[in-house]
Amino acid sequence: MTSLSRPRPGSCLRAATGLAGVLLLSACASTPPAPTAQLQAAQQAITSAERADASRHAAGELSAARAKLASAKTAVQAEQMVAAERLAGESRVEAELAAARTTFVKARIVNDEMQSSTGTLIDEMQRKSGDAK
Amino acid sequence: MKTIDDRVAVGRTLIAAAVAAVLLAGCAAAPAAPEGASEVRAKLTQLQSDSNLASRAPAAIKEADAAVRTAEQPEADRSLGEHRVYIADRKVEIASAQAQTRYLEDERARITAERASAQLDSRTREVDMAREATADAKEENAELQRQIDALKAKPTDRGLVLTLGDVLFESGRAELKPGATSNLGQLVAFLAKYPSRTVAIEGHTDSVGGDDYNVGLSQRRADSVRSHLVSRGVDAARISAMGAGESAPVASNESAAGRQQNRRVEVIISNPALAAL
Repeated sequence: MTSLSRPRPGSCLRAATGLAGVLLLSACASTPPAPTAQLQAAQQAITSAERADASRHAAGELSAARAKLASAKTAVQAEQMVAAERLAGESRVEAELAAARTTFVKARIVNDEMQSSTGTLIDEMQRKSGDAK
Repeated sequence: MKTIDDRVAVGRTLIAAAVAAVLLAGCAAAPAAPEGASEVRAKLTQLQSDSNLASRAPAAIKEADAAVRTAEQPEADRSLGEHRVYIADRKVEIASAQAQTRYLEDERARITAERASAQLDSRTREVDMAREATADAKEENAELQRQIDALKAKPTDRGLVLTLGDVLFESGRAELKPGATSNLGQLVAFLAKYPSRTVAIEGHTDSVGGDDYNVGLSQRRADSVRSHLVSRGVDAARISAMGAGESAPVASNESAAGRQQNRRVEVIISNPALAAL
């Protein structure tokens, strides 16, 4: 037992020291960089959705995207950079969804108008030929 | 020595604890993908199996599929797992919105075609109707011509002029002869068929007798014809009657044949086309 365990203590210690060092290092690098690129991407996605009039056609998604970005900025201030990065990413997809739904709603409005004007046209024609008979 | 043994013991305990922790973590993570991942997968599967949508946003669906696969990976870090599910869910929704938008855009071609075909149908119907109307008008004209022929009326600038000879009246009398009414039957029928036409009745005489007498006689004869038409159902408002006496001969009063031609009643039927204009 002892002969077996003897060579180990040293390496175990070294491993433990190494681990502690890594932990300390990561803690000591204290302020990791803020996820600037992700925050910017989220802001851009929001601006783009706003330009497409998402506040009118996808208001829920747009305000969720804004709230996520605000949370991401709060997390940056609290130096919770991992959380900040995730929140920024979520804000971005939420804003992209707002834009996609806005495009969809606009397309639907166009189609509804086309459909209803075509319907009116067909009705008119049927009435016209009906009157003639 | 003793201290070394102690350290060994501590080391073993640490290793055991680490192993246990790893095992525990493994056990906690192994069972399944993060919460919500299967719902997102189901949503994506539904989109992929919708024949109207699946082919309409291939890039977005591919991206969503990759995000869902990432989200499905067992993850010990609960908040990372939630984050991945969140991202995957929104990517599926984005793909779905894009596919639906594309579907609507493609629908426009169909709506436009439907509209064009309805317009074409309508135009075809209009042409048919116009053709029918033309055919009807032609038929009507032919019928009118037949009626005019039957009436033996002459088209003139004043309208259709129907000349009723002196056979309608006894010499010097203004009452229609009993047989004369059948001559007027065709006129009555004509006026019944073309209610927009009005008639002017003019009585004429030859030069035998005084002017006043002739004017009076021709007026009475015109009135007789008018009364007859009214008695047969022609609205009196459509008929005017006047006596022209001997003032408008159509032949010479020198001969008996000429005088006979001059003794007449003319019925001038208005031309409705001119009236309409």
